[in-house]
Amino acid sequence: MTKAGWFGLPALLAALILAFGWHIAVGAKTVPLHVVLEALVAYDKSNFDHVVVTDLRLPRAVYAVLVGAALAVAGALMQGVTRNPLAEPGVLGLLTGASFVVVMAVGYFQVIDPAFIPLLAALGAAVTAALVWGIAAAAPGGSTPLTLVLAGAAITGFLAAFISLAHLLDQESFDRLRVWLTGTLAGRSTDVLFWALPWLIGGLLLALLLARQVTALAMGDETAVGLGVDVARVKMLAMLSVIALTAAAVAIAGPMAFVGLVIPHVARIIVGADYRAIVPVSAVLGAVYLLVVDIAARMVLAPIEVSTGIVTALLGAPFFVWLVRARL
Amino acid sequence: MSVLVLSPWNGRISLRLHRHALVVAALLLVALIGVSVASLMSGSYPLSLRGVWQTLTGNPPEEIAQTVLWEFRFPRTIVSAVAGALFGLSGAILQYVTRNPLADPSLVGVSQGAGLAVVSAIVLFPEMNLVWRPLLAFAGALIVAALIQSIAMQRTGGATMRFILTGIGVAAFIAAITNTMLTYGDIDQAQAALGWLAGSIHAVGWPEVWSLTLCLAILTPGLIWSARYLSALRLGPEVSIGLGVPIRAARIGMITLSVALAAFAVAAVGPLGFVGLVAPHLARRLAYSGVGQHLLLTALTGALMVGLADFIGRIAFAPVQIPAGILTAILGVPVFLLLILKTQSTRQL
Amino acid sequence: MKHAKTDIEFLASRTGTVSAPCLRADRLCVGYAATKIVHDVDLQANPGEVTILVGPNGCGKSTLLKAMARVLKPMSGAALLDGQSVHAMPTRDLARQLALLPQGPIAPEGLTVHELVSQGRFPHQSLTRQWSADDSRAVTDAMKAADVAEFADRRVDSLSGGQRQRCWIAMVLAQETDVILLDEPTTFLDLKVQVDVMTLLREIAREKGRTLLVVLHELNIAAMFADHIVIMRDGRLIAQGAPERVITTENLAAGFGLQATVIMDPVTGRPVCLPAIAGPAT
Repeated sequence: MTKAGWFGLPALLAALILAFGWHIAVGAKTVPLHVVLEALVAYDKSNFDHVVVTDLRLPRAVYAVLVGAALAVAGALMQGVTRNPLAEPGVLGLLTGASFVVVMAVGYFQVIDPAFIPLLAALGAAVTAALVWGIAAAAPGGSTPLTLVLAGAAITGFLAAFISLAHLLDQESFDRLRVWLTGTLAGRSTDVLFWALPWLIGGLLLALLLARQVTALAMGDETAVGLGVDVARVKMLAMLSVIALTAAAVAIAGPMAFVGLVIPHVARIIVGADYRAIVPVSAVLGAVYLLVVDIAARMVLAPIEVSTGIVTALLGAPFFVWLVRARL
Repeated sequence: MSVLVLSPWNGRISLRLHRHALVVAALLLVALIGVSVASLMSGSYPLSLRGVWQTLTGNPPEEIAQTVLWEFRFPRTIVSAVAGALFGLSGAILQYVTRNPLADPSLVGVSQGAGLAVVSAIVLFPEMNLVWRPLLAFAGALIVAALIQSIAMQRTGGATMRFILTGIGVAAFIAAITNTMLTYGDIDQAQAALGWLAGSIHAVGWPEVWSLTLCLAILTPGLIWSARYLSALRLGPEVSIGLGVPIRAARIGMITLSVALAAFAVAAVGPLGFVGLVAPHLARRLAYSGVGQHLLLTALTGALMVGLADFIGRIAFAPVQIPAGILTAILGVPVFLLLILKTQSTRQL
Repeated sequence: MKHAKTDIEFLASRTGTVSAPCLRADRLCVGYAATKIVHDVDLQANPGEVTILVGPNGCGKSTLLKAMARVLKPMSGAALLDGQSVHAMPTRDLARQLALLPQGPIAPEGLTVHELVSQGRFPHQSLTRQWSADDSRAVTDAMKAADVAEFADRRVDSLSGGQRQRCWIAMVLAQETDVILLDEPTTFLDLKVQVDVMTLLREIAREKGRTLLVVLHELNIAAMFADHIVIMRDGRLIAQGAPERVITTENLAAGFGLQATVIMDPVTGRPVCLPAIAGPAT
């Protein structure tokens, strides 16, 4: 890790704590920061503010942290392994694939056991990833940023059409899922969190373990082979990590687009090309980013709450366009 | 390849036509009429072929047939065909001008721009007269098209690839704004807008028929004028200049025409995806021909596609009606993927 | 400075004898945005001759050609066809007098040779008059001249590089213009095919009295086929004139920074450049 990285990590953690506190303080009723702190360290059941903080706001802030970290790390891995600046679980269709399977299972087969949700999401993400890469690799010229993004966009459009179709055929079952499908942190049950957590932690650990090899891979397959990296194995494991992280994020919050695109690029600007630094910094930055975005989602059109996923798209899409202009 | 040269009036007018393409055009027309008739016959109140004929000629078998056919099915059939033709033509022109086989109004943000304009109108000004919709859609689409052009074209080289990717990014951004608009809006209006966004033709009536017919009438001279220039433009900008094409004016004119075609179709039936992408390719596979005839074939193919999508959507899960936009996406995406796989040189992307 | 002066004298001596249309650059400066790429170029291409522009990569030879074909606007100076600025003429009128074959053109998928060549008739057609007997004759002639008549119904994308390039040349010929500009028409072709293409172009200039201005990469091919050769470097003319006069050890050093011996080909009488290896010979 670079000097700046070591120096920056405490600053990032401070930013995370600040954003976390702010996120809890903001809402229909503003809770002062010191009360937030009190509720966390000296919980008083009779204090209404304390109840609001621990029962409603704290879980939501925790979701934001987890989902932001998971998506950012997934994006970082994808960009490193594919050497594609536009790679991201959302752009390449993994989020839609994961949510498609979840929607179908919940809507059609009444799967409500939260234990299965991350598993189903992982299944969807894995199949979509295989499809998108398969198509892009089979195209003349191989998996370029263009073919990957196009294949991702096509699969997204295709699955979205099927989700709309299912929604039309069975309004009642699917109405419940509509808000979730835009990517939201509101009103999620803690059961899902419990079952998603193992996936998330596993994915993050795997990402950290792979970081050194991914740094070599980001310099090109041949260079990596020359440096003694088992390219096929690292790619496979990286993909596993991406799928686990995507599955956990989707299970908690639905498809939250462009988080994985923006954060790794920012992380790279801060700490350079070493993925041993990029991965942890992306995780923290992703958490901060989603906390701030979620605050914005609740405040901009207050009292109406905009889905967090809409706000990440509003912020991420221009960034995508800028990347296309600057980097391709 | 048999080419027919028609030179009436002492060669003052002369046209080159491919015989095979003419045959295919005739077949497409027959198929379109077939689908239209089937579409007139079927629904919750089924009519026989005879019944349809009798009603159209003015002596319906039952009173209700008159209403069902004239007020609902007939406008719907016409609108789906015309809108399909407009989408197809829009995509074909875009593909010729950008020399990009993957260009499509719904893929490069034009449909989304038109969609956002109309959704904003539905949500913010629910009382607005339908007449304004095509103009709003056109304005929205034009702004987005200009935005994408200005972003994608500022640096040299690889411009068509950047054009497509920029379009995808801008489309995602506009979709997010549209979603915000839906969240912000009143639930009833949001529902109406949502239904319209899915690309549905079930709500159309005679006003849409007239507005689309008017649009087609206005744009047809432009289309005829454009065919000649498109045939030169498809050889690339520098060759076109060498052949004497006023390139800047021609490009701006064509893209505006393409945007207008898509916008008017979107205003009537919502942003149907992939028709503009698939119809031109399908038309070319059916019969190889010059640009003018290719446009004709594309229009017929697009009309047939949307007509068929609407028809299937109406009967497949009856009484639930599936919006045509869902079906065009489900049918269009595999073709799109096939195109990615088959495009011969990535240099053209 | 010395070269520039002799060039102007040389131009003055030539213009007097010319009556058919000639293409001339008059103190032409061209560039993109703020960067000037071509500086004050004076140049003339005459009927019945092949004029060839050579120079190292990035010397501005293609930019100069594009400006003379009105693809690029000049920053100052003018490109003149028979004394008239090509940038001031209506583009279609100009297209009937001046044709351009850009570098590495790509035909759309599925286009047949006949259709491609027919496209050369564009400036002679109009909305109501899409195809005339004249067009038919011009296309047949052009395909015969470029020796692609046998492929007429084949798809352009199914042909070899050399055949494809001949089809594009046929398209330009079908335009039936007095002046033809070609940007690197032999790049990526085998040596034999390069010679074939250049022989074809020389025939066109000689037999039909056309004015050809060609940008070439290959110095020896240029020396073999040029009636008039122009060496450019950094956007300026280094030398121009008959190949025997221009292809000299000094000019090659000045134009390309190349150490070379120049010998005369005993068969063609043309100069041939033999690059020397830097450093002491072993």
